[in-house]
Order: sequence, then C-alpha cells, then structure tokens
Amino acid sequence: MLRMRAHALAAVTLAGMTAPALAQDAKGSLTVAFAAEGTVLDPAKYSAGVDHYFIGQMYEQLVRPGLNLEPTNWLAESWKVTDPETKPVLEVALRKGVTFHNGDPLTSEDFEFAYQRLRDPKVSRWSHLQANVERFEIVDDHTFRIHFKEPDGDYIAQWLQLWAVPKKYFERVGEEGFTKAPVGTGPWKYVSRSVKEELKLEAYDGYWNKQHRPKVKNLTIKIIPEDLTRVAAFKTGAVDWIDGVPPSMVEEFKTLPGVKTLSVVSGNNLYIDFPSYKPDSPFNKVKVRQAVAHAVDMDAIIKTVLFGQGERYAEVGKGATGYDPDLKPYPYDVRKARELLREAGYPSGFETPCYNLTTPREPNVKEMGEAVFAYLGAVGIRCRVQGLEYGAWINLGRRGRSGPPEMDGVLSWMWSQNLPGDPATPWGGHLHSFVAGKGWGSYSYTADEKADAMVEQLKSTMVPEKRVALIKEIARYKRDNVLGGWTTYRPVITLAWRDKVEFTPWAYPGYWRGFQEIGLKQ
Amino acid sequence: MVGFVGKRVLHGLVSIVGASILIFVISRLSGDPIVLMLPVEAPPHVIEAMRRNLGLDLPLWRQYLIFAGHALTGDFGMSYRWQTPALDLVLDRLPATIELAVAGLVFSVCLAVPLGVLSAVHRGSWIDTVGKGFAMLGQAMPGFWVGLLLILVFSIRLNWLPAFGHGGISHLIMPAIALGWYPVAAQTRIVRSAMLDVLESDYIRMGRALGAPERVLVWKYAFRNAAVPLVTMLGVYFASMLGGAFVIEVIFAWPGLGRTVVEAVFSRDFPVVQAGVLFTSILFVTCNLLVDLSYGLIDPRIRRDG
Repeated sequence: MLRMRAHALAAVTLAGMTAPALAQDAKGSLTVAFAAEGTVLDPAKYSAGVDHYFIGQMYEQLVRPGLNLEPTNWLAESWKVTDPETKPVLEVALRKGVTFHNGDPLTSEDFEFAYQRLRDPKVSRWSHLQANVERFEIVDDHTFRIHFKEPDGDYIAQWLQLWAVPKKYFERVGEEGFTKAPVGTGPWKYVSRSVKEELKLEAYDGYWNKQHRPKVKNLTIKIIPEDLTRVAAFKTGAVDWIDGVPPSMVEEFKTLPGVKTLSVVSGNNLYIDFPSYKPDSPFNKVKVRQAVAHAVDMDAIIKTVLFGQGERYAEVGKGATGYDPDLKPYPYDVRKARELLREAGYPSGFETPCYNLTTPREPNVKEMGEAVFAYLGAVGIRCRVQGLEYGAWINLGRRGRSGPPEMDGVLSWMWSQNLPGDPATPWGGHLHSFVAGKGWGSYSYTADEKADAMVEQLKSTMVPEKRVALIKEIARYKRDNVLGGWTTYRPVITLAWRDKVEFTPWAYPGYWRGFQEIGLKQ
Repeated sequence: MVGFVGKRVLHGLVSIVGASILIFVISRLSGDPIVLMLPVEAPPHVIEAMRRNLGLDLPLWRQYLIFAGHALTGDFGMSYRWQTPALDLVLDRLPATIELAVAGLVFSVCLAVPLGVLSAVHRGSWIDTVGKGFAMLGQAMPGFWVGLLLILVFSIRLNWLPAFGHGGISHLIMPAIALGWYPVAAQTRIVRSAMLDVLESDYIRMGRALGAPERVLVWKYAFRNAAVPLVTMLGVYFASMLGGAFVIEVIFAWPGLGRTVVEAVFSRDFPVVQAGVLFTSILFVTCNLLVDLSYGLIDPRIRRDG
C-alpha cells in the first residue's frame, strides 16, 4: 500500500488581502477602448487569450498573478498538494466572505460545478486539461479536494485552472440566461453588451477585496480595431484609456502632455521553428540550428521593424516561473553562423521554404518574419518565402493532421500565453516530440529523447520549487541545442491613459487589460 | 403584373438557394475550422470528438441537407467562435449595416444626381470639368483612405464629429460619406451620359420650341427618363454597399454585419458566414426585385409594355 505522505505546499496569503475596507465608494464613469474583443462571457467556454479580456473583469480564479506577477492566492485562502509524486490530492481552502454579483455566497459547490463544466467537451474547449482528475470532493462549504489519477504539473502552472461560477444562479437561469446575464465574483459586474461595439460594466459594491478594487462606478469598454481610429478616439477625448498604441506612435504618445503610457510584455512568445525531427533536413543538425540563432540580428529587428516594441528573451521570459537571468540569447554573429554552416556540411548554404504569418496577430509580425528570412539569406540559408493567413498558418503548424501541406522549412511561429505562468504546457506542445494520440508535441517539429524525458518530468512535478529548478534546466538544454525552435522575442504592448485616470496595471487575467484597480482622480 | 412579380420572386428564390449552396461549399474549401477552435495542444481524440459534435465528419451533401433543413426553421446553428446562435448574431448586426448602406446610398445619390445633371446641362463648361474631375477623384480615392482623412480632419483637427461608434446622426455622417464616396463617381457618369442622350431627344427639343422653362424640361421631363439607368444600378450599389461595408465598419468601429461576416470567414465560423451571406443574398434579391418593380413607376411605357 502506498504510503500517504503529507506534503504541505504553497499556502501563502497575500498580505493585506483581507484588510478592512479602505476604498471609497466607486463613483463616476470611464470609457476605454480595446483593439480586440473577447467573444464569450462564460469562463468555461473561453477558447483564446482574447476571451480573457472580458472574462477577467467579471470572474476570478483560485490563484492568480499578483501586482508584480508573483503567484498569489486569490479566491483560495490557501492550498496544498499531498502526495504530489504518486497520487496527488489538491486541497483548497476557499476565502470566506466572497459573494457573487447576485449576492450568493461562494462555496465549494460552485467550484465543483465549474469543474464539471470544464471537463465537459460539449461545454469547454479545454476539457482535456481535466483528464488527470479522478474526482472532485467537497469537504465542506469552504474546502474541497481534487484527486488526481497521476501527477499533473499543468494544474499548478495554470493557476489551479478553475474559475468561480455560481451554481445556484446558473441552474436557475439556464445556459442561455447565464450567457445573457453572466455573474461572477470579480470586481466588475455585467451591465450590457453590444457585440462589435461595447461592453458595459459596473463596479461591484460587495466585492470582497476592499484594498484592490475599482474606484470608478461605471466602465464602458469600446471595441475599436483600427489603430488610427483608436488613437483618434483617445486624442479627441472620446475614450480615456486605450490598449495597443501602434508601435510607430509609441514615442509620440510618450511626449503627449497629460498622457501616461506603460509598455509591458504581452502574453505571447515568438520563435522560429524548423523540422529538426526529420533526418534528411539540414535543421536536423544542431550546428545549422545554431547558425540560424547567430544569423539574425534580433535587436536590430526589434529596434527598426518593431519600433522597440519587443523584448528579447532566452526560452523563459522575465516574470515567468523559472526565468533564469544568466541564460542569454545567442549573440548576432554572421561569421560564426557561416562557420557553423560550413562545419555542418553546408559551405554554400542551402535553399528552404520559409513560411510567414501575414495576419497581424502581433504588431508587424509579417514584417518581422520577412526581416528574419532576409538575415538568414545573408548567411546562405536562402528562403523561398510563402505568406500564410492565420487559418492556413495554424493548419501548417499543427502536427497529427492528414494531408498536405507539410511544414518542411522555416516557420515563423508563436506559442501564446503562459505569461507569467510557466512554460510547461507550450513545451509539451512544441519541445516534446510529436506522439500520435497522446497529446504530446501537437505542434512540435523536434524529436529529442532527453527533451522528451525532461518535459514529461515537468508535467508530473507538482511541487513549485522543483518545477522552477527543472524549468531552468530544460531552458538551458533547449537553448544550447536550439530545440523547439529558436526563440526570438516577446511583443511589447503599450497602454495609454489620460492622467486624470488612476490606473494600476495588474497582469493577467486579460494580459494587462484587467481593471482590478482603476479610478478617476478626485 | 402578378405573373411578372411571381416570375421575379421565383428567380430570386433560385438565386438564394444557389448562393446558399455556393457559400456552403466555398466556406468549407477554406479549411478545417477545428484547428482554429481548439487550443494547439488539444490531443487528436478531442479534435475528433469536436468534429463529430459539430457534424463536420459527415459527407458534404449531408451536411448541406441538415443545414438547409434547419435553416428553413430559422436555425442556422451555433457560431463556432461566439458560441451563440448564428442567426441572433446576424440579425443583431444587420440593422447597423442597413443603416450605413442606406445613408451611404443617400449621400452618393444626393451628390451624384446634381453633379451628373449639371455636367450634362453645362456640357464642356467649367461645371462639367469640375463634375468629371470629382468623378475621377471619387474613383481614385478608396473609401478607407477617405475615411481616415475624414477622421483626421473632422475628428482630430476640428473635433466636430465622433471618430468612431454607432449612435446618432453625428456618428453616421463620416462613415456614410466614406462608404458612398466611391459610387458617387460611377453614378455621376451614369446620370451625365443618360442626361446627354435625353437632352438631345426630340421631345426635349419640342419642349424648348414650345417655350417650356429649361428647369422644368431638365428636372421634370429629361431627368425622369435619364433616371432609369441610375435606378437600375441603385439596387446593385446598395447590395455592394451591404457587402462592401466591411472596411468602413472596421475604420469607424461600426458594429455591422460586414465586419462580423468577414471576421467569421477568417475564423472559419461557418454558421455565421452562412447566415450572413444568406441574409445579404435575400437583401440583394429583394433590392433588385424592388428596382424591377420601380421601372413602371418611373417610366409608364415600361408599365404598359410589361
């Protein structure tokens, strides 16, 4: 019989989180503008990062990044994992005194309901993330346990995954009713929505976190996709806060009187991938991959093509779990790149297809790809460039599908999310080799046994400290061997607001667009 | 007349069915929507389950029959992306696009008719030169560029009009001008050339000989006949504005159907694409039917012949 070993982990409560009411009553109205729009207002149904823009205002998770990106217990007062290496049990103690916008108190039943919806593939597009959960046990109104079949580090990496949804309310109004009038525990409660136009929210008076809450009563989020129109709306005073200041206008915005700006790294990580798993591909040779990493002056691309709106990183970015300041990106060195190519048996270089994303998923991403391909050409890796719109691009990158086209060259790609989380999930997708039917390497063009073993070990590690050490080890191995592609940069987004607005940016949910603390100066 | 209308309605129905088949097939040629719906790390069994749930594993003809059967009852399925009924999404956005298209059409006609008539009446004069120059400018300046210029001048510099959004008349002015800008050129040319023909016809000469005032001759007798080709084209212009409003909707953050459908195309949200295109087709067919019926009102000879 397995020896049950209690292992108390991570039970930190953010100092001051339950401080007495400090905030004044919220008053006034504020209009802001986003470039992109979330689609669903139900956390069980979210399908892409953009959905967090709205969901993150109204709903909350058990754990979330704090003001300085540190993991912070949120609706969880504390949590621990017992027996983390064999058959883990995650025990969560819920914060007391939390209520939903309709006044219902938050209880363990609500999280059990959230779990049931999240594991249902007819409701959720992330049901596979619950595959390792054996059962959900309600201990009492404010304590529950999640029993795992086997260790699942992703659960820890993804903030214990569950979002609070009011069970009683949902059962009373039904799915359609909930869609029309969603209710969460977050600082903002739903008022109305007009698709493609706006979302209206109101500060929730009964919000539990008296210290970190909005100070403005009404918030209208306008959707303005066109950069220049969004800028015009800001300049004319129609909105007082915008996201996505166009890269070419950031410097101008910084000099505008009465305007504050903040440039922050976005929740996306970009890289250049190649089919290193194919024995007959030049990229199968580590020296060719290292040549790629030396061949491109990424700093120059960031400066000139991205107008400085990018941050270089080596595998794990600043603020993410496992960030290693000693791990540096490859320096730009054309001579070294040519030498490596020669040593790899390609003194005259070679031709290769190069696939570029043309849909602006990130600012100037198409131009960035073109610049990278031009640098590769300069050392002898001659690109036959093919531009792809988003659908064709993501189809090309995905493994395990049948039929052409085949990703047989250089691919400008991104792994999305995991800022400031840890990289376990994306590494499982593109550093681990593709294993049909298992979910590993679903967009991987790498095959390396040691990398596979390390990524699998990370997946089964539920102890946060051990995860940090392992992430650092994997990152170094990945960087040195240029596996899972060559990491390039993380886009930087710039937010701007008028100085009559008091805004404290909290990262995620919403990748910096969460209005945990915002108000108007009195 | 009843037979004429019946025949036109039948033609319209055939066109709508044809459009529905075409869009159904073409949208599916664009690729697999599942890859855009699920996270990239979703395992294959989850992908297959999703495909089965949505009926995308069935042969195309069966998928179409199921779609057509449900569409007849008003059920266009759930949007893959928005996860709400596609019909609700389309009907919710349609009025804003119709409002914009009507405003754009009114703007273009109000500008094109006087320009075209004056150019024809004062053929070869500076007025004609200005009219032709305006028509050339209209075709040379794309609507999105006009839109951005309008924002720059009337929102940022003068602060007279809102740069974006949907609301009162002030919100409508710039999008309507940007959308109606391009058709002004073509409409001006149509009116001008039709007027030139009519102004040289015998009955106008006779009117002049009888001493009828020039203004009455031009606007009451000549323009009425010259309007037939313009009216014929109005249905087409209106329909193209409905379909082509996308760019203007993006620039002015106008919450219309064009933006919704084009984004649905990029995200392979088939139910929204199908519902959107079908409703646009119905509008297109209806417009053309109304245009056909309006000939008789404008020109009694057509009514008699019909």
